[in-house]
Amino acid sequence: MAYYDSFVIPFLAGTVFMFAVIAWKWCRWIWLLPSEDKRAISKGVFTSATPKAVWEVISESLLHRKIFRVNPLLGYMHMSLAFGWFLLIVVGWIEAAVELGAGTPLHAHVFFRYFDPGAHAGGNPFATVMDLLLLMVLSGVVLAWFKRVRSRAMGMKRTTRHVLVDRVALTALWFVFPLRLAAESFMAAIKHNGGFLTGGLGDLIAAHMDPAVIAGVNSVLWWLYSFALGTFFVAMPFSRYMHIFTEIPLIFLRRYKVRSGDHTKSFDNFQIQACSRCGICIDPCQLQRDLGIGDVQSVYFLRDRRYGRLSDKVLDNCLMCGRCEVKCPVGIELNTLRSNSRQERVDSPALTRYDYLKGTDRSSGSGRVGYFAGCMTLLTPVTLRSMERIFAAAGEDVWWADRDGASCCGRPLKLSGEVNAARRIMEYNKEQFAAHGISTLVTSCPICLKVFREDYALEGIEVLHHTEYILRLLEQGRIALNAGDTVYTYHDPCELGRGSGIYDEPRQILGMAGKLVEPEHSRSDAMCCGSSLANTVIDDGQQLRIGAAMTTELERTGAGCIVTACPLCKKAIVRNATLPVADISQIVAERLQVSGT
Amino acid sequence: MPQFGFSISKPRAINLDTNDQVPAERLLQEVPELKTCIACGGCTATCTAGNLTDFNFRKMHTLVRRGEYREVYEQMDKCMLCGKCRLVCPRGINTRAVVIKIKRVLGDY
Amino acid sequence: MDKRVVIIGGGVAGMQAALALKERGAEPVILEKEERLGGKLRDWHRLFPTFTPAAEVLEPLREGIARAGIEVRTGAEVECLSEGGAVLRGGECIEGGATVICSGFDVFDARIKEEYGYGIYDNVFTTVDVERMFNEGRVATAQGGVPQRIAFLHCVGSRDEKVGAHHCSKVCCITGVKQAIEMKEMFPSAEIYNFYMDIRMFGPGYEELYRRAQLEYNINFVRGRISEASQTIDGRVQIKAEDTLVGRPLKMTVDMLVLIVGMKGGSRNVAFAGSGGLTVADNGFMQPQDSFLGNVSSGRKGIFYAGTVTAPKNIGESLNEGVAVAARVASYLGL
Repeated sequence: MAYYDSFVIPFLAGTVFMFAVIAWKWCRWIWLLPSEDKRAISKGVFTSATPKAVWEVISESLLHRKIFRVNPLLGYMHMSLAFGWFLLIVVGWIEAAVELGAGTPLHAHVFFRYFDPGAHAGGNPFATVMDLLLLMVLSGVVLAWFKRVRSRAMGMKRTTRHVLVDRVALTALWFVFPLRLAAESFMAAIKHNGGFLTGGLGDLIAAHMDPAVIAGVNSVLWWLYSFALGTFFVAMPFSRYMHIFTEIPLIFLRRYKVRSGDHTKSFDNFQIQACSRCGICIDPCQLQRDLGIGDVQSVYFLRDRRYGRLSDKVLDNCLMCGRCEVKCPVGIELNTLRSNSRQERVDSPALTRYDYLKGTDRSSGSGRVGYFAGCMTLLTPVTLRSMERIFAAAGEDVWWADRDGASCCGRPLKLSGEVNAARRIMEYNKEQFAAHGISTLVTSCPICLKVFREDYALEGIEVLHHTEYILRLLEQGRIALNAGDTVYTYHDPCELGRGSGIYDEPRQILGMAGKLVEPEHSRSDAMCCGSSLANTVIDDGQQLRIGAAMTTELERTGAGCIVTACPLCKKAIVRNATLPVADISQIVAERLQVSGT
Repeated sequence: MPQFGFSISKPRAINLDTNDQVPAERLLQEVPELKTCIACGGCTATCTAGNLTDFNFRKMHTLVRRGEYREVYEQMDKCMLCGKCRLVCPRGINTRAVVIKIKRVLGDY
Repeated sequence: MDKRVVIIGGGVAGMQAALALKERGAEPVILEKEERLGGKLRDWHRLFPTFTPAAEVLEPLREGIARAGIEVRTGAEVECLSEGGAVLRGGECIEGGATVICSGFDVFDARIKEEYGYGIYDNVFTTVDVERMFNEGRVATAQGGVPQRIAFLHCVGSRDEKVGAHHCSKVCCITGVKQAIEMKEMFPSAEIYNFYMDIRMFGPGYEELYRRAQLEYNINFVRGRISEASQTIDGRVQIKAEDTLVGRPLKMTVDMLVLIVGMKGGSRNVAFAGSGGLTVADNGFMQPQDSFLGNVSSGRKGIFYAGTVTAPKNIGESLNEGVAVAARVASYLGL
């Protein structure tokens, strides 16, 4: 057999095993996709989604552009390993094809320097390129070692703690490239076929070592190199390195609009196994930052879910604030996956569980605009009173859905995983909204807002948060504000900002009322107040510590008043603040111009 | 559902000599601050479900702590987990965790 | 040794300490931030459990101070402590051989409990407002009417983790009972409800007063904490609570809701601690050396405490500490 030596066996066996496992996994996951996802794929394949996905694969899977944005050095580390290795394979294959002719077997280009037929007159330009690429990958490996020791220099305070299979794969990976360098250098000492790096080292070896020793070491090194590759490939589909290939189909499927949902499904596997456990999600987590809880972050949640050992402690202990999700370089739907894991665990509601809601109607008033304060807003009556004044000033007739107490919106139940039970509450509320003939539904609670928008499918009813509604009134000239010189700072509630994308409306309103200064973390990077209903584990003292840290940041802005737009956030800030704290509706109500007409 | 007087077979007294305290202890281990409840009733007063039904959260968790579990699970099912009770609780009790843990503990009781 | 003693705060504890120190031959100087001596008691109408007019306690103290020729600096707000004295706002240092901190407590700001609607609804008041109304001789609803139904809510700002107060303010229970009786005397036909969690009647005559409130004045005591209040269209206040003894939610509309506000540590305590090397206890009050033999000592040489600066206390206890601290200071100064 041409270009064969028995040392290639570990490599070949590992490669075959790895591709067999990956193929099995992907085929199975795709086969198990629900039919609507399969339809979405077949609809998307021949559209512009495909070239866009190809470009995204290049920029994210190979170049890791998003990680560059976290930290350039960290980005370079990931890029040099992924893109460098990729080029080594491609250029190596071209070189082998040129030198050995068509039909080169797989191992022949991987171990090309070994099978290289002879010396090249005037040097081999490929060898130079290959040495450059090897140097690039090696620099990545050195950075990876460095990151283990000093992650802070790479923009990460904390790195992931890995499981055994990850450590095996990692160790093998760390050995692959230094072994390749050593093997090619020894080969160059014999054949003089290296570039500037391997060739240079080869000359050095040839000058100082006995040829018989060189030959012996050379054959051992090629064995070790092949064995390191084989080990890595065998461990790979079971380790975090599964992400290398899994991110590719994930990008395509995502472009075809396949998403994870309320219930677990096989697409989740693509997301879960596309996690490289880079640990970028750890630092943004306030449970880590303020409470020192270090084993519940998304990376650990995904890991535990993947290996089937998810505990309630990890699953429930998350604010679902979404700070990690916006930072995830792979764009994994972390909150969705966490909620559907919760759903998986507990959701067999008694069918009659919320039957008591039927026939209850505590609403009052009538109008095209419905106002749903939300449970928590009933405990911040300033907001209620302010909305009352704003509605009156705008001359709006309002149907008050829950001023005297009514049903919950259903989102808290959904967040705790009881999706089917929550659905029953939602259906009841939907009937209420329909029965009262409203065309606009305004709520003061971002938690309610999110569920009304995403789960209610309210046909013919526009759902608005009160910030959006107030801004609209201002823009339409139905109300006007007396501007003052108060300096405000604004806290973005998680469910309103990251959850619903409402960042500009409150800022525009505050800009009309006074001056606005931003805290250190704002908009999509804003802190969570700690009171999130998604977390059922942390106690009051822990909630308080998260709230205190975040309030300190708001007070440091030098503002005269802290403004937010969520009753839960307001309560959390009030507990810690020395400055006055207000819901945005209060600021508006206090500054309403009383028109002469 | 209202309890009428004809269920005479049930003893009236809470019998702490015979009641099984294991589930109660498990609950208190998981939410230890529940021990600090001063029975102010704020949770029940503000309760979204409690204002529409006879659900009384304070009474239910007190029953559990006394080793009385009958009907507690069904009552807890009325809770919508809205979290108002946690917001008003002067003892800072994680009331939502209490609901969830009671259901988990009693679910396999 | 310097006989001058700097007394921070001219409330009942500070005045009593000054008088007792003067008797022992010291030269006290009282630093009072307000324009008049008297502290919180100036706003109080009558004292529990005997309904003694506050003036009957204040006036003899004030007269004694004047008669003894004790130096009083009013309008003198202390910023922080200095070596051997206090620094006033503006930078002036007042120094002596010893310092007695009698700076008292702060009243809990009821607006923090937004769900009760203080400062939002017209007819939600605090016990401090009610004393002021008693002093003005006119108690009425915001609309000017005669209240027919009045609810008192105990423990507002006390025993409440959500406002960072684990402590019991001790005197609010009896204050609630006293004011309920006074209201009933003023409006004999009014229904009065006190919403409580525990009734703590720790002093002589307190339990007896509670009993009279129930028996003679028909005050209703409902065991349950009001969770929230709202305003009705006619400006009354609707309250929600659980009647925990019945085990059912309770709703009622009242003409006045009175929040029995608790005591919290003085806002200057942190500054005192920082500048004087003292300790603020977890509850926000100053930490005395110990609760027994050193209960008016700070643990720092030459710095002493009297009155509610170290914990919630009633008037009698604060007065006693004024005497006790004088004895300690005198022996410290070798008088």
